[in-house]
Amino acid sequence: MDTVIQTNQLTKTFKKEEVIKPLDFVVEKGEICALIGKNGAGKSTIFKMLAGQLIPTAGDIHLFGISGNDLTDAKKRMGFMIETPAFFPDFTAVQNLEYFRIQRGVVEKQRVQEVLQTVELAKQKKKRFRDYSMGMKQRLGIALSLLSSPDCLVLDEPINGLDAEGIREMRRLLLKLNQEKQITILISSHILTELQLLATRFVFIKNGEIVEDLSKAALDEKSRKQIQIKVDDTAKAAQILERKYADIRYKALPDQTITIQNHIEEAGDINRLFIENGLVVMEFRLEALNLEEFFLGLVGEDIQ
Amino acid sequence: MNYIKSEHYRLLRKPSLYVTSGICLLFQVMAALLLYFFNQFETDFPYATSRFLYSNVVSSGTLLVIIAMLFNLMLTGKDMSLIKQAISFGISRTTIFWTKFMLTLSYFLLLCIASLFLIIGLGENLLSQEENSIANFLIALSNMIPLVFAGFSIIHMMRMLKVATMYIIIFLLVLFTYSGELFWMIFRSINGLNELYKYGPDILLRNNLNHFMDQAAYVDYRCWITGIVLAFIALLIGTRKFTKQNID
Repeated sequence: MDTVIQTNQLTKTFKKEEVIKPLDFVVEKGEICALIGKNGAGKSTIFKMLAGQLIPTAGDIHLFGISGNDLTDAKKRMGFMIETPAFFPDFTAVQNLEYFRIQRGVVEKQRVQEVLQTVELAKQKKKRFRDYSMGMKQRLGIALSLLSSPDCLVLDEPINGLDAEGIREMRRLLLKLNQEKQITILISSHILTELQLLATRFVFIKNGEIVEDLSKAALDEKSRKQIQIKVDDTAKAAQILERKYADIRYKALPDQTITIQNHIEEAGDINRLFIENGLVVMEFRLEALNLEEFFLGLVGEDIQ
Repeated sequence: MNYIKSEHYRLLRKPSLYVTSGICLLFQVMAALLLYFFNQFETDFPYATSRFLYSNVVSSGTLLVIIAMLFNLMLTGKDMSLIKQAISFGISRTTIFWTKFMLTLSYFLLLCIASLFLIIGLGENLLSQEENSIANFLIALSNMIPLVFAGFSIIHMMRMLKVATMYIIIFLLVLFTYSGELFWMIFRSINGLNELYKYGPDILLRNNLNHFMDQAAYVDYRCWITGIVLAFIALLIGTRKFTKQNID
């Protein structure tokens, strides 16, 4: 797999406070990587260092395998939207994008119209930026990041200020870009339920260092909380479990449900065991933590 | 090159460019018309001369620098926050620093040249002419050019380093109004440096005006030395610090 972003011992210090501790971090081609952390964890600082807005105190950044001072060509393959997108308030959407089209040397003039259509702002293209709603501003920010047809998008809080419909549209757009155009995405958001629907990898960051780095499959695995099984005879089920697993932790509930808190990875074996012992399994469910619950469990605090 | 083109696209669409330029030119026309009309109604009015009109320009060195600051502020003011987008795209801080400098300076120079033609046109056509007044005026202006250029470079450096406008004004006022006197007070007793005050921009501008008023303007090399040294220091500090600056 090709590496799109790689950091080696990337560090940032502000006034003697190390806000990003030596960070080794990789984003592979085709991934939708979610960077998750509470406010002040260092997400935006990492994004800004990748974008070149902040100069790292130590360490280095590789973009598409290129490192050092000459990241100009590599950056042309990237699209950044970090925090609130900045545009000229008195310019229309078209004028703003035209300015950046010229700046980025995008030859095709129609590219401005294309990206406006992609983010569904074509009808409001002649409106001045200052008259845009928050959601429209965010979408224009995405349009800008797509202007030079990047291979990788770095999006910091792209769904901030969007309504439910806008969030769904944004998710649809990002999934489409990832699946149809193979655009790699590095994203952060406080709306973790959205990230759960979007990302293929989850990197949890706390106090400037990575505390967990999981693929979607690994997260699903780790966030499983308990097995819930509805059987015709809970007493017999309990006996079977105790006989098979000495350390089993379970609860038999009055509604013929038995919940098991450990040996979760052996859910299939437990199911087979019950059936082989003549129990009727009416319902079998793996209850999982959602991303937010998992995150809170990891950092132990409210993400807001 | 693309960055220059995009900045050009932006500047040409900024109403403030036209408004500021228009106001500057309008003030000159009004000043000349005022002198002209006073002369029409008062026969002994002594100031309706081209030399007096030009002397207002020669005596406005500090004002010119403040106008340069307003011009820079108008053209780069709110747009500074967009630098981060250019940096994200891989445009170097050095390119950004110099492009913005060259473009705003070019537009400022265009305004200065337009003003020069306008003021000479007004002076020579509306007011009574005096011998050698244009030649004296142009020589006096040639002495002001490096000092205003230095002021412009300092303004650009401080703007790019996000120094608050109020501090820029204070610094410029001190430099262009009191620096010579300050140098004299500080260095008068130090052998070898006791002549340094003669290179203070305020002293140079004052001497330039005096010589112009005496119709004895001459090209003062000290203006060029001071201007070049100040501009060089400002741009060197600006480039070095801006390339290491976090753009947040």
